[in-house]
Amino acid sequence: MNKTLHTRRRFLRTSILGGAVAWSVPAFLERTFFSLDAMAADSLVPTGKDAPIVVVLQLAGGNDGLNTLVPFADDAYLKARPTLAIRNPLKISDSLGLHPRLTGLRGLYDDGQLGIVQGVGYPNPNRSHFRSTEIWQTASDAKTTESRGWIGRYFDSCCQGADPCVGVSIGSQTPQAFAAAEPKGISFSKPEQFRFASETTSDPAAAEAFFRNTNEPASDSNDGGSIGMLQGPSGGDGDSLDFLRRTALDAQMSSDKVLEITRKSQSQVPYPSSNLATSLNLIARLIGGGLPTRVYYVGQGGFDTHSNQAGSHERLLGELDSAIGAFTADLKAQGNFDRVVLMTFSEFGRRVAENGSGGTDHGAAAPLFVLGGAVKPGLYGTTPSLTDLKNGDVQHNVDFRSVYATVLANWLKVPVEPILHRSFPTLDFV
Amino acid sequence: MSVLEPLQNSEWTPAAAAHLLSRAGFGGSPREVEALHGRGLDGAVDSLLSAPDDADIFPPPDASIPQDLLALRKGMEGKSAEEKRAAQMALRKETQQKMAGLRMWWLDRMRWSPFPAREKAVLFWHGHWATSAEKVRDAFPMWQQNETLRAHALGRFEPLAKEISRDPAMMRYLDLVQSKSGKPNENFARELMELFTLGEGHYSEDDVQGGARAFTGYRINPQTQQFLFAARQHDGGSKSFFGFEGNFGGDDIIGFLVADPQCARFLSRKLWVFYGSENPSPELVEALAETYRRENMDTGRLLGAMFRSREFYRPDVRGRQIKGPVQWLVQACKELDLPIPADASGILRQLGQIPFAPPNVKGWDGGRSWISSATLLLRYNIAGRIVNDRRLDADAIIPSSASPATACDALGNRLFQFSMNERLRKSFLTFLEEHPAEKNIRRDVIHLMMSTPDYQLT
Repeated sequence: MNKTLHTRRRFLRTSILGGAVAWSVPAFLERTFFSLDAMAADSLVPTGKDAPIVVVLQLAGGNDGLNTLVPFADDAYLKARPTLAIRNPLKISDSLGLHPRLTGLRGLYDDGQLGIVQGVGYPNPNRSHFRSTEIWQTASDAKTTESRGWIGRYFDSCCQGADPCVGVSIGSQTPQAFAAAEPKGISFSKPEQFRFASETTSDPAAAEAFFRNTNEPASDSNDGGSIGMLQGPSGGDGDSLDFLRRTALDAQMSSDKVLEITRKSQSQVPYPSSNLATSLNLIARLIGGGLPTRVYYVGQGGFDTHSNQAGSHERLLGELDSAIGAFTADLKAQGNFDRVVLMTFSEFGRRVAENGSGGTDHGAAAPLFVLGGAVKPGLYGTTPSLTDLKNGDVQHNVDFRSVYATVLANWLKVPVEPILHRSFPTLDFV
Repeated sequence: MSVLEPLQNSEWTPAAAAHLLSRAGFGGSPREVEALHGRGLDGAVDSLLSAPDDADIFPPPDASIPQDLLALRKGMEGKSAEEKRAAQMALRKETQQKMAGLRMWWLDRMRWSPFPAREKAVLFWHGHWATSAEKVRDAFPMWQQNETLRAHALGRFEPLAKEISRDPAMMRYLDLVQSKSGKPNENFARELMELFTLGEGHYSEDDVQGGARAFTGYRINPQTQQFLFAARQHDGGSKSFFGFEGNFGGDDIIGFLVADPQCARFLSRKLWVFYGSENPSPELVEALAETYRRENMDTGRLLGAMFRSREFYRPDVRGRQIKGPVQWLVQACKELDLPIPADASGILRQLGQIPFAPPNVKGWDGGRSWISSATLLLRYNIAGRIVNDRRLDADAIIPSSASPATACDALGNRLFQFSMNERLRKSFLTFLEEHPAEKNIRRDVIHLMMSTPDYQLT
């Protein structure tokens, strides 16, 4: 029998239902776990301490790709950016350099642990933050709308019956990338608050037992419906009460585990004090503590630099760089760097020409970073032309779904087509 | 027209009144629900939507006094770099305090206003014309925008849209203050069409560019912090917009947008999603849009039709909306006869909805996005803190002499809009019966009732 399932079932019996309360396992759960067992035979998700991990880092707002990976030798760049051009980048080739604040990433590049995919985007780019973010999160075409996320579809297709911790998003919102037919994944920002605090009641043990009982899925009235919810195609679109009940159950199952791990597992290196660094620190501790998570999701906001970009972009990239620097050092100290691939993305790059406010407006294609112990270093894709523009924007030459396909096929080792709906050429950064 | 047929008198029950009070406003105690029910459906809707001025009950907050930026700049002249930094720090701190005061002022207003439906509509419009103090960085414009939203919340859309295009907080938030002839900044023009009037896919990139040129020259008087039209920064050339050519200004653009039937459709749908349910049928949206246009896009009148319609009281609408954090907190305080807690800002930050600081220009996504495993557990734990507020008068809510069954039903009516589900009722009844002697049992039960998936819904 699949080990995770076994653990999950035991966990439910002992913990959710509570040793103190002599509840028998409701028929609904019993049957559910039979079906989960059956599904587990096909489950493609490896468990245990050697399984590959993906960290997705979203740069929200539209990161200026041209000032991240700088084509410093291109006259068109210098001309389009009279005040914003970066003139002293950290050179990685005769024509390209990283923003001066990306010293840590430059170090990873030199150590052979950083890949840079250039010109990533999609056909008919959309310049709305929300729509373009949705396109990236759901891996859809620009012309079609998809409600489920690419990571959610990975959960649906490869992680049936897995622990809800298979996806962890740091923050209070669940990203659309996790949206699935059978929603999985948990979100939290502060592990110490990720539990039901029964100590404020007069009889904590009774309150706790009662709480666990009322927050468990209904065993009577909703019986058949809940089974359908787990297996049926419409599961994730069910009624809002079902959604809340499922979230409550996942939260309970995960919170004990997360707390135990974060109490025990400490980071081995100092981290800077930014939000992103705090989040990556938490992820490193969860990885170190062995949480059975395949995908971590974390974000950094503020990249919508319409005005006075120079200072704010520098600060943002500095934060990004120092946070990633601490994170990679931590994973190396743990011996887990070879298990992790971190990829960045942003909903779009920015317009080639700067605007009149010392900023840049919404653009299209941009580079992204992939890094990890197993990453094959170097530049991928071709450097986009700054003279052959479309509506003032650089054109993509790598579809972002090729990056996803590479991560799915070469790193998570799962079939791509059921997740991305069709095949995309893979790159060889892993 | 039949889509919006009115609710029958026989269907107007206390549970229906509780549903209306919760959606149109922020809910209330059983006594308030019963009073609303006593007015009958029409009387109830009229009393909610006819909202006379209540400003005298809420004296303006500290944020209502504008900073004279010109005087401030002058005062800095000749100061050392260190003195300037110290002055800036002090200013930032003052702004933070004013923002905290403004936030409490508005939450108090939601909690205590005799016209909560207007405050609820202000909350809707704040999410619609989303503007964040994080970027505006001054409390006065945020207060001023809030007052503008209040003045037009239940009125016509077009004057509201025009006011907002001249609203200093919005002008700063979407960079309109920097947009000038020759170098238009597209941020405001794009969001005006995408998020504020039509929705994505109903305009072209050319419209964005033409619109951006029309809005050039919008500035703010640094002394009074009021709108100022700088003719020299305005692009007076001919623009094309929606196939029309002319020397359009910002108000012309808004006129074109409001006249487009898509605008009424877009707003009606959004209003229904906020007040009614997540996925309105196309027929319902069409019927609402038709009503909105017929009523000259008067939002109060559209809401009146909505709140009277049978559609609004359907079983799959009632008790199926996930409360947003502001709704959750204000409603809990009203249900428990408590004031807004002093750390309300902190609570709302943790739960993901800080008034005056929406995450982005799209506002809050609402619905399921409010709930993750993290925020759900936080809600349960914050409920524990609220219930342990010493000012909670458990005896007034339910006398200690009440039988377990009476207590269970009374609390169920109070916390679940007169429609607690049977399964929960049985569990809580058993719990009450098993702990007859516990002194704080009523508080514990309230906390546990709030710590259920069901309580997150209204």
